[in-house]
Amino acid sequence: TRQEITNNNWEEALTFVALQRDRSAYAELFNYFAPRLKAFGMKMFGNEQQALEMVQDTMLNVWKKAALFDASRGCASTWIFTIARNVRFDMLRKKQSRKDDVSADDLWLNGEYPEQEADTDASQWDTQLLMDKLAPHFTSLPPAQREVMEKVYLQEKSHQEVSDELAIPLGTVKSRIRLALDRLREALDGARN
Amino acid sequence: MAHAIKFHPGMPLLEQHAEGTLSADVALAVAAHIDLCPHCQQLSRDITADLACQLAQQPVKTNTTDWQQMLHDIMAQPPLSKQAAATQAQLSAQPAESIIVNQREFVLPRALQRLAANHGKWLHLGGIATAKLPAGNDYHVSLLYISKDTEVPQHTHLGLEMTLVLAGKIVDENGEYKAGDLLINSPDDTHTPRTMADEDCLCLSVLSAPLKFKKGLTRLLNPLQQFFY
Ligand SMILES: [Zn+2]
Ligand SMILES: [Zn+2]
Repeated sequence: TRQEITNNNWEEALTFVALQRDRSAYAELFNYFAPRLKAFGMKMFGNEQQALEMVQDTMLNVWKKAALFDASRGCASTWIFTIARNVRFDMLRKKQSRKDDVSADDLWLNGEYPEQEADTDASQWDTQLLMDKLAPHFTSLPPAQREVMEKVYLQEKSHQEVSDELAIPLGTVKSRIRLALDRLREALDGARN
Repeated sequence: MAHAIKFHPGMPLLEQHAEGTLSADVALAVAAHIDLCPHCQQLSRDITADLACQLAQQPVKTNTTDWQQMLHDIMAQPPLSKQAAATQAQLSAQPAESIIVNQREFVLPRALQRLAANHGKWLHLGGIATAKLPAGNDYHVSLLYISKDTEVPQHTHLGLEMTLVLAGKIVDENGEYKAGDLLINSPDDTHTPRTMADEDCLCLSVLSAPLKFKKGLTRLLNPLQQFFY
């Protein structure tokens, strides 16, 4: 039998659901995500009945389509979030009953784009440039991004060190850096014009 | 990519697109840009992962919802087998269909393929042709084809105009736009887009209000503005 799902390893839980229709693994996933999805739905719909309809539809998709989850493409939470977003989008469109109209399938690719050559742009932003020109814009970054940027660019820590220190996945560290760099680049472009 | 895309949607647009809170018509232009743009593909992936992280990590209060009933209802349904799930995924993937205008064939980005398969009939005016897409409540969504060496008369915008270049190249007073570039013009902007002597152009056009033509005789186009809208 299966060991306890430890450390919120939802990828593992989904794999058990996919391979063995594991009901207790699914129940753990459900108990964790359903209330959080409901909070997300309340924020989006402002209506409990629709929020719950979205949760039910999303979690039903997770149950039925677990076999489609591919851990190499990203975390379980990302997969579940995209399902919820798409369910919500299509619920809103259906209310307007437009048959040919834009659907979630048009807007969001169900899977990955092919891997592109690395974007060297972001890495060319060296510390000096950041210190001189972008320091004023640092304060307007979202706190989570600013925290990571300060550690990497001002305290010169490695991505791995930051990941360990903040107890967040390495991928999250990298993505926060990329998002912050993009924001800063926009701020700089804006200042130039 | 043959060339670098220079004009991207800003971060707020990408964020709202990932979140699913953009108006569907605007989201369509952003989605089609993302299909063409590796840079924005990467950003979208990161934004989505961040949003998912926020969703998964938010604290929740215990509440009164009867979760066990919902859980029970869900697990009463049979899950799809790996094969069935894969087949379903394949069915929803569209085969790449092309559209033909002015004897030219164009393959559209994935986001536009299903809707473009149901486009309205092409309306021609000089070197310009447009066909509506069955999308949009607040906006008007259409394909816009401009023959080579053709100018769209100078106009201002009564609302927001988003133009995504799908193939070829257009030039206006502010710059040069190639496949993948997304131009956003607001009511204050005036411009005269045109094609080059040797290359035609296909665009996706998303308009929140009719264009207003500015100069001399082209003002006569204003009564015809439903052509552009
Ligand atoms: Zn882009
Ligand atoms: Zn315009």
